[in-house]
Amino acid sequence: MHDGSRNNRDWLALVREHLQPLNLPAKEAQEVIAELAAHLEDLYDEHLEQGTTEAEAFEKVMQEVSLLADLAEKIHRVKMQGGIMNSRTKQFWLPGLVSLASAMALLTPLITISMQPRFLGRSPLQMVLLPWLALLPFCGAAGAWLARRAGGNLQARLVAGLFPTIALLILGSILVVTRLLTFAHPEWWYGLVALAIGIIFPSASLLIGTLPFLKAAEPR
Amino acid sequence: MKSKRISHKISRGSAELAILALLAEKPLYGFEIARQIEEKTAGVLCFTLASLYPMLYDLEKRGSITGRWEPNQAGRDRRVYSLTPAGKKELAPLRKEWKLFFHALDHLAGVSNA
Repeated sequence: MHDGSRNNRDWLALVREHLQPLNLPAKEAQEVIAELAAHLEDLYDEHLEQGTTEAEAFEKVMQEVSLLADLAEKIHRVKMQGGIMNSRTKQFWLPGLVSLASAMALLTPLITISMQPRFLGRSPLQMVLLPWLALLPFCGAAGAWLARRAGGNLQARLVAGLFPTIALLILGSILVVTRLLTFAHPEWWYGLVALAIGIIFPSASLLIGTLPFLKAAEPR
Repeated sequence: MKSKRISHKISRGSAELAILALLAEKPLYGFEIARQIEEKTAGVLCFTLASLYPMLYDLEKRGSITGRWEPNQAGRDRRVYSLTPAGKKELAPLRKEWKLFFHALDHLAGVSNA
């Protein structure tokens, strides 16, 4: 409960506190919150101008604040109606797929180049893995940036940025399990080592690009 | 004042016309829209925070109105709504439709004599 006598009227905080998560792109959600906060501020000022005490004015504003509870759902329904993609697609799947597609798009030419006769003597580490690791931060950044731009939360931004290695982890795990079930002597540790190298280093590289976008967009 | 208010469904149906008609006069922000509607209808139409903004966002989504942040007279940023060309086109037939509706209702139930 709010004390009507409090003098630090942080209307933005009040709206954020009472409004359910908007599930809208971050910029749009911030605009809605700022607009509702401005409305409450005007309402409060209006009551004061009418000669109401601060405590009474605040109490009256709180009656409007109590209506915020189911407003988020209404606003979301109105704002997202007719959209081609739902917010989960925009905030998570699309950024994740962009990150994955760009990581694979970079890997393919590196492998192709490394297989050309003049480079055959060089190690795959030098020709493929290291250049790929150097480029992966851009893929992670693209995924996390798109997720943040669409209003994705911290988890969505992180997963979108790391999506290529999450996909590789799932695929690699399936291969390891298949190998264990199929071969009499699977020598499973080779698979695990390959999985670790294929996951840990690329994850670290993707994370470098993802980190700057884990912070929520600055409020207006 | 509450007894003067008409039922929610009629109020909601007419709110769209009220907002578009107000914005046809001049651009206004949400709080001003709510206050002017309340004043001009002597409290018959009354918006709360929860009823006004979903309607404004709906009208904006449909392209009838557009909002942009501007400082008000007190220098505070407010999201001011104005009628778009599409909204202007929408308003005339909407007015006609409501006029027909009231005329029909009056003819049927004699509401103007009530």
